[in-house]
Amino acid sequence: MPKLTFNAEFCTGCRACELACSFKCDGVFSPSKSRIRVVKMDEEGIDVPVGCEHCDNAPCMLVCPVKAITEDKETGAVLLNHDTCIGCKECLAVCPFGAIHYDEDRKIYYKCDLCGGEPECVKWCETKAVNYYSDLDDLLRDRRTRRAEMTSRAMSESRFSSGGGSQ
Amino acid sequence: MSGTLGGYAGTVLRIDLSKEKVKKEELSREECAQYIGGRGRDAKVMFNEVPVNADPLGKDNILFISTGPITGLLGPTTGRVNVAARSPLTGIYGNSNAGTNFGPELKYAGYDCLIITGKADKPVYIAIDDDDVKIKDAKKLWGEGVFETTLALQDKLNGYETKVAACGPAAEKGVLFGSVIFDLWDAAGRTGMGTVMASKKLKAIAVTGRGELEVADPKRYRDIIEDGWLGLVNDPGFRMGEHQALGTSVCVGWGNAQGWLPTRNFRESVFEGADKISGEEFRDTISIKIAPVPGGRACMSCPNRCKRFGRIDSGKYAGTRGNIEFEGVAAFGSKCGVDDLKAVFHAYMLANDYGVDCVSCGNMIATFMELAEEGIINPKKSDGIDLRFGNADAMVEMVHRIANMEGKLGKLGATGADQATKKIGKGAEDYTTCIKGMDTIACDPRASKGFGFTFAVASRGSDHLRAHPVFEMIKLKDEVGQEMFGSEESCTLRGYGGKVNMVFYHENLSAVTDSMGTCRFMHASYYAQYPIPEIRAKYSRKKREVHSIKYHEWLSAATGLDIDYDELLRIGDRIINLERAINTRWGIRRKHDTLPKKFMKNPLPSGPAKGEVFSKKQLDKMLDEYYELRGWDKKTGLIHMKKLKDLEMDDVYQDLKKRNLIASSSKKKGGKTTKKTTKGRKK
Repeated sequence: MPKLTFNAEFCTGCRACELACSFKCDGVFSPSKSRIRVVKMDEEGIDVPVGCEHCDNAPCMLVCPVKAITEDKETGAVLLNHDTCIGCKECLAVCPFGAIHYDEDRKIYYKCDLCGGEPECVKWCETKAVNYYSDLDDLLRDRRTRRAEMTSRAMSESRFSSGGGSQ
Repeated sequence: MSGTLGGYAGTVLRIDLSKEKVKKEELSREECAQYIGGRGRDAKVMFNEVPVNADPLGKDNILFISTGPITGLLGPTTGRVNVAARSPLTGIYGNSNAGTNFGPELKYAGYDCLIITGKADKPVYIAIDDDDVKIKDAKKLWGEGVFETTLALQDKLNGYETKVAACGPAAEKGVLFGSVIFDLWDAAGRTGMGTVMASKKLKAIAVTGRGELEVADPKRYRDIIEDGWLGLVNDPGFRMGEHQALGTSVCVGWGNAQGWLPTRNFRESVFEGADKISGEEFRDTISIKIAPVPGGRACMSCPNRCKRFGRIDSGKYAGTRGNIEFEGVAAFGSKCGVDDLKAVFHAYMLANDYGVDCVSCGNMIATFMELAEEGIINPKKSDGIDLRFGNADAMVEMVHRIANMEGKLGKLGATGADQATKKIGKGAEDYTTCIKGMDTIACDPRASKGFGFTFAVASRGSDHLRAHPVFEMIKLKDEVGQEMFGSEESCTLRGYGGKVNMVFYHENLSAVTDSMGTCRFMHASYYAQYPIPEIRAKYSRKKREVHSIKYHEWLSAATGLDIDYDELLRIGDRIINLERAINTRWGIRRKHDTLPKKFMKNPLPSGPAKGEVFSKKQLDKMLDEYYELRGWDKKTGLIHMKKLKDLEMDDVYQDLKKRNLIASSSKKKGGKTTKKTTKGRKK
C-alpha cells in the first residue's frame, strides 16, 4: 500500500508543495487553495507540513452520510466525490489534519487525491519532508535506516568525547 | 489579477497616511515592460514622484514595499520583496531587499506594490485582508520591539497566516539605519528604510492573502521552472551542499581561508577566532534541529534554505532566538574582534528586535572600537564603557545604547559611521569604510577586487549585493571566465582583469532578478543561469544533459511579455541607469564612486592576501572602462543623452536635461554596449 508522508523535521518551510499543488490541480498559484499546507511557526523556527494522511479508518469517510468519500483500493487514496457531496461539512469537523477544503468560487468541497499516484508536491520537495512511498515496506526500511544512522552517529560521537572508554 | 499580464497581481495599493486614504490603482503595463517590477518599478515611481528636495524623514518621502511578477509563484526562489525610499542614512537612493513570506502574501492579497505617502498624526498600522485595507491605531504597539509587535498582530488577526512587516523602537527614536523586519527575522536592513517607515508613524503592516496568481503560459512556465530547478540543484556549488548545511555563515570559514574576512574594523582580513563564530559552531551549539537541515529555513519556493534558526536556553543570553545570516555574524563577530558566538548571536537578535541594520550597527561599534584603540575617542571617560576589540560585553552594551540613542556614543552612533566620524573629526574619517555614506559589508575589497569595484559603483553606497560577483571566489574553469568576461583573471580573487565586465554583467542581471522577485544566490553564488551551465558543459569531459535557469524565458512565460536574453540584460542596464539618474539629482558624481582611503592606502598585514591594496590607479582605469559600458561621462559621471535614448528612457532624459544634469556631448559617447558583452552567448 502506498503512503504520503509529512515530516516536520525535514521541512524548511519553503512552501513549494503548496504552490505545486495549486498549480497542478487548479492551474494557479494559491496557497489557500492548496491541499497541503505548511504551518510556519516562525518564533519556534519550525515549519510543519500538514495534509491528508489518507487514513485507513478515515474519520471523514466514516462520518459522510452519503458515502461521497471512498477509498481507492489500488492507490490507498481517500477520495471525495463532489457530485455526491451534500456539503454538510461533517468531514471538515472531524478531520484531525484540516485536510478537507472548500472552494468558494466553485462552491465545492475537495481534498487531496494523491494526483492519481504521482503527487506533485513530492516532486518539488527538495528535502523530502513530503514524500511518497508506493510500498509501506519501503517506508519502514527508510525509517529504520534513518534511526540506525542517528544511533550510529550518536555512538561514534560519544566514543570521541569520552576518549574511547566504555562500560 | 491582471487582465493583461500574467504573474502580477495587477494592483498597486496607494496609502496616503496624512489623509488616511487608500487608493487601488491598476498596474501600468508600460512600467512593467520597461522596469519589470520590484526594485526597477519602485525606482521609476521614485524618480517621478519623490521631490528632489524631499526630506528623507518628512512627509514628501515615499516608502515602497513591492514585489515582482515572479514573487509568490513556484520556481527556483520566489520570495523576495523590495523596500525603497530616499535614504535618511545616505541622502541618496535607498533600497533594501528581503527574502520572506510577506511579499508572496501581499500578492495573494491582490497587490504588487504598496506606495506609502504622507505622514500619520499618531502611530498607526495597516491591516490588509484581501480586498479589505484598513489604517488602524497602533498606540499600544508603539515602542514595542519587532518580536512583540509581530506576534501581537498575528494574534489579533489571522494567526500564522498573517505576515507582518514592522519597524522597531530604534527607528521610532530616529536611529538612521532602522530596518524593516518581515516575519520576525527577515530584514530589509540597509539604508534605513525602517527609519523612513517610523517617520511616517507607521509601526507595522499586516497582510493576509487568499487570492491566486496566474501565469500567461502555464504549460511553458512549468517546463521552464523545472529546467531552472534542475539547473540549480545540479549546480556544482549546490551539490557540494555547504550552503544548505551551514547557511550563509559558511562564509566565515570560507572568507577566512581566502583572506577576505573583515577583522577588527578591516584592519586585517583573517580572524584567529573564525572557528569559534563559524557556521559549524552555530550548527553544533545553537541550532535546534538535527538532520538533515539543522535550523535550516527557506524563503518561498527555495531549495537552498540559507537561513539558520537558533536558540539559547541557558546562561546570560538565555531567551535569545532567531534566524541568522553571515553579514550579521561578521559585523558583530570578526569586525568587532569578538569570538564568542553566543554574544554575537545575542547582539544580532537585539539589533533585529530593536529594528536596526545589523551591518551598520556592527560596523559602527567596530569603528568606535578602533577609534578608542587609536586614542581618538575615549569611551571610558565619555561613556564609562571599555570599548576595545574583542570585548563582547561592551559590544552588546553598545547595541543597546545605539538603539536607544543613550549617552554620547549612543547618540553619535545612531547617525551611522559616516556622519559620526565626521562629527568626531580629528582624522576619525580615515577609519570608516563608508562609500556614499554607507558602510562596507563583510568582504575586504583588497582581497577580492571584483567585490571592491562593486562597492565603489553600487547605487546605494558601499554594497556587494548590487552585483554579488562570487564568480571570483569559486573555482570555475578559466575558460568560463574567458568566454563570459574576456579574461581568465575574472575567475581569480586578486586579479583586476575582466572584473569590470564581470561587475557590469552581474549588476545588470541582479537588477533584473531583484525586479522579478527572485534571489541573488541562484545566479551569483550558484551559477545556474543560462548561459553558464552551457559554457561549463562545453569544457567538461562529462557529457550530460544541461539544465539552466533561463530568466528571460521564465519572465516571458510568466508575464506574456516577449523578452529575449539580450533584452533582459538591457532592462538591467536601464534600471541601473535609472538609479544613477536618481542619484545624479541628489548630487552623486564620479568623485563619489570611489573606495575608502583604508582600502587604497593600507596594505593587508597578514593572511593569504598579505600586502594587497586596491590600487587607486587600477580603480580609475576600471571606472573609465565601466563608465564607457554604462554610457556615463568619464569626467563627471553624468549620463550621456545617447545612452538614455538607446535605452528608451526619454522621459528620464527630458527631466535630467531640464535640470542640466546630462553629460555634455563629447566625441566619446556611451553606446549599445550590452550587445558587445553578450556576443557569443546567444543560443
